[in-house]
Amino acid sequence: MFASKSLKKQIEPIVESLLAGLVGLLIGALIMLAFGHNPLAAYRSLLLGSVGSVYSVAESLAVATPLILTALTFAVAMRGGLFNIGAEGQVYMGSLAAVSVGLLHLPAPFNLIVALLAAMIAGIVWSLPVALLKLGRGVHEVISTIMFNWIAHFFAFYLIANVLTDPKRGDRTINIIESARLTRILPTATLNTGLFISLLTVAIILFLLWRTSTGFEIRAAGYNPHASHHAGINIRKQVLRVFLIGGAVAGLAGAIQVMGRPPYYAVMSGMPQLVNLGFDGIGVAMIGRNHPIGIVFAALFFGGLMVGGRIMQFDPGVPFELVRVIEGVIILALAVPELRRQFSRLKGRWGRKE
Amino acid sequence: MKAGIMRIASLVIALFVLAGGPFVSSASAAGKVALVLDVGGRGDLSFNDMGFKGSDEAQAKLGVEVVEIQSNSAADYLPNMQNAARSGQFDLIVAVGFLLADAMAEVADQFPDQKFAIIDVTWLGKPNLMEIGYEENKGSAIVGALSSMVAAHYGYDKIGVVLGIEIPVLYKFEAGYRYGMHWGNAKYAEKTGKKSNVGLLWTYTGTFSDIAKGKAATEAMLAQGAGIIYNVAGPLGIGDLEAITEHLEAKNKSAGPPFMIGVDANQDYLGDGHRVLASMMKRVDFGVYSAIESVVNGTFKGGVQILGPHNGGIAMSGKQDLADFIQFGVSGGAISASDSGQITSNWDAMRKDIPQWIWDAVAELQSEISSGAADVPCGWCPDTIGDIRAKYPD
Repeated sequence: MFASKSLKKQIEPIVESLLAGLVGLLIGALIMLAFGHNPLAAYRSLLLGSVGSVYSVAESLAVATPLILTALTFAVAMRGGLFNIGAEGQVYMGSLAAVSVGLLHLPAPFNLIVALLAAMIAGIVWSLPVALLKLGRGVHEVISTIMFNWIAHFFAFYLIANVLTDPKRGDRTINIIESARLTRILPTATLNTGLFISLLTVAIILFLLWRTSTGFEIRAAGYNPHASHHAGINIRKQVLRVFLIGGAVAGLAGAIQVMGRPPYYAVMSGMPQLVNLGFDGIGVAMIGRNHPIGIVFAALFFGGLMVGGRIMQFDPGVPFELVRVIEGVIILALAVPELRRQFSRLKGRWGRKE
Repeated sequence: MKAGIMRIASLVIALFVLAGGPFVSSASAAGKVALVLDVGGRGDLSFNDMGFKGSDEAQAKLGVEVVEIQSNSAADYLPNMQNAARSGQFDLIVAVGFLLADAMAEVADQFPDQKFAIIDVTWLGKPNLMEIGYEENKGSAIVGALSSMVAAHYGYDKIGVVLGIEIPVLYKFEAGYRYGMHWGNAKYAEKTGKKSNVGLLWTYTGTFSDIAKGKAATEAMLAQGAGIIYNVAGPLGIGDLEAITEHLEAKNKSAGPPFMIGVDANQDYLGDGHRVLASMMKRVDFGVYSAIESVVNGTFKGGVQILGPHNGGIAMSGKQDLADFIQFGVSGGAISASDSGQITSNWDAMRKDIPQWIWDAVAELQSEISSGAADVPCGWCPDTIGDIRAKYPD
């Protein structure tokens, strides 16, 4: 009796997601029909393009690699009851910190690890003011993270154009030095060992949240800050923890994107390889129900959707703009169950207050 | 509820089956081409849109099928080109823009049997890759000569150039513009007997996207008495033109001088047709078209192709281009079709107000450049720009 009930509880979200995904695919198909494209051919190339060969699986994994991390940033905060959308700016800072390690001229074996650490520290530095503003002045994290994302955006533009510029080509920063680059796993695909860094981070966060007292405190504060406070948990400390963990993880995402994805190994002017990694991570976290394991699968799905979407462009010839619309519809549909859950939680909380 | 979902699902499936009929892929006899773009995508009214213009023409005139592949992120450049090459269905893959150079270097080696072409890149050297470069220095010399003579004619003693990020390709524009200004000064003295001392104001704004910086730089140049502003920073031209428009409005005028000189596309139709004197057209459309044409004709070969004034790849805008690009501006949403008559008559009036000998002199320089008689400095290499600045001073 009990066993079947807990089994049902575990399967329910999966079934829910599958149904939501199906609805998304159907709406996407209707949109394609409306614009005169064959949805069956388009979904066929979406599927083949994302998982049809070793190469396409590797590409899907490559896209998923940084998204796993930015989704973790959001999810950890969500578990702690906070809405941290600052990963975007922390990604920029992390990537530039990794690039600037090249200026230090360290002995070769240190470069990789120092670049990763520098990126995490940069992410933390960018996250810390948000936490301090919340603790000291009660500034809501949504407002302050949006502001810090923009500050990071323009600060990064400045650094790319004036400080870290490649003297031979003004459109990009200096390259990540060879010894700090992550190795490619397949000779052609852009997949690299950054994937293992992402998965290791997932394992660490999983352990931290569910196997340590720190994680218990974070989650308790998220469930019910008042009860946790009365039970002796320092809520302010949890806010700080959530932002620092999130900053480090998001900084890491920026670093592995620029240290791992060929062929550039430099931040381009306008940051075209970094922009939206942080925001896409929010979608991934939502689809993955803010759970590290769920996030891995959600990021894989997201990566597959992006990689397969490229194929949709030139095989059945669905225009890029429409591909993005369809991707958006599917992601939105998949995020609906989690959004509903979060909303009903909030409603419950407000309801009690009245 | 459940039954409702089932009903919708079956309806959709029925729709698929019914609609499946018309979707038969049409294999094209003339060939299939992939056009790979950077994150800029459509709608810049300049570089990328010019690439699309070339492929649209190839589609219409050569009957090839063109598939556009845009990119979400710079991380997509390499996989997008790999996917296109891997699919084996394209006779040619064209990459538009030097941002795609690193990805092209890799993918051209990986797929030695696939034909590739790339615009604005001339240093990769692959047997299966056609690299198309432009002589921007020569085009800039032509508009530089026009600028200095027109400025002198209207009593200005300065011309300006607003540049983007200080990269080697922009040195080419600067070097040519300097050469042209000095050529124009000499020609003005020769024709009118009056000494002309038009000087140069130049600014590298450090951006290709911050339109406000273009406006600020132009305002500063206008305040120092510049009569012509050459836009060498893509979209910053919008800011340049805004500054000129406001400067004229303050004097209750609409038509220049001061004028702007457009870049890449023909931008003469902007500013109601009488604030952009001419454009240094870099025919990206021409490059894309000729690469596709070479594959259709079977004359494709790897190596560097240089497009310049001698083959129409670089040209100063003329009357014929105006109608063509008004259409381009209308489809890009920059102007409305109903304005085209007014723009054309304004443009005619603007050009007629300038004495014919100036236009003749510009044509003379153009033919000197095409024949190789005029030695326009290159300035491609960062190590020569200092010498060029010394030889052709501000």
